[in-house]
Amino acid sequence: MSSFWKWTIGVFLVLLVVAFVILSKMAGSPRDAYFMVRYALPHMHRGNLKVGDTAPDASLVALDGSSRFHIRERTGARPLVVIFGSYT
Amino acid sequence: MTQIYNDYKDHADFLTVYVREAHPTDEWQMKSNVKEDVCYAQPKTLAQRVAIANDFIKRYNYPIAFGIDDMSNAANNAYAAWPERIYIIDKDGRIAYRGGMGPFDYKPDEARAWLAARYGTVKHDAPAPAPSTPTASLQ
Repeated sequence: MSSFWKWTIGVFLVLLVVAFVILSKMAGSPRDAYFMVRYALPHMHRGNLKVGDTAPDASLVALDGSSRFHIRERTGARPLVVIFGSYT
Repeated sequence: MTQIYNDYKDHADFLTVYVREAHPTDEWQMKSNVKEDVCYAQPKTLAQRVAIANDFIKRYNYPIAFGIDDMSNAANNAYAAWPERIYIIDKDGRIAYRGGMGPFDYKPDEARAWLAARYGTVKHDAPAPAPSTPTASLQ
C-alpha cells in the first residue's frame, strides 16, 4: 500500500477516535456514545418547520387508548403550547 | 413544564404529545432511568405506549392535557419532535415558537419567555419546588 493511502487511513482513524472521545464526553461514557449513535441519531431530525409556518396536524390517541382527536382541534381560541416527550 | 403550565394556564392552552420512548431498556437506557425505576422497553404496540403514558400520568399526577402519538409516529415526524421538543402554535394556527431539539436544546425557559412577553412575568413568592423525579422530559 502506498504511503499516501497509509497516511490517509491513519488520519481517518485518528479523527474517528477523536470524534468518539468527544461523543463519549457529550453522552457521558463510551457505552452511552455507542448507544447514542446506534439508537438515537437515526431518530433525531432538525425538521423543516419554521416560525410562521402553518402548524401541521396529526391524529392523537387519548389516554383511554381508543378515543382520538387532532392537534389542530386544540388550536384557535388561545395559543397552544405543545410539549413533545416521553417517560424514559 | 408543569410550573409553566400552572403559571400560564389562564392565558394559553397546553397539550402534551407522547412520542416514542427516548431511553427504553432495549435501546439506550440511561443509569438515571434505572435509579429512578423508569424501566420500559420500546413499545411495539399502541396499547403498550398507552400503558406507559398512563403510568407516567399516575406517578407524577401530571395535570397537562395529553395525547399519544400512534405507532405511525405521525405527530413525531410532522414536528421532528423526538426525543423532546416544545412548540407554541398561535391563535392563527401558525408556529409562533419552535423550540430546539432535545436534550441539549430543549429549553422550557424559552417557552416561558414567549408567554411572559405576551402575558407578563409570573412571580413566585417562594422558590418553585424542585420536581420530584425529573427523569421524564415532560417534567
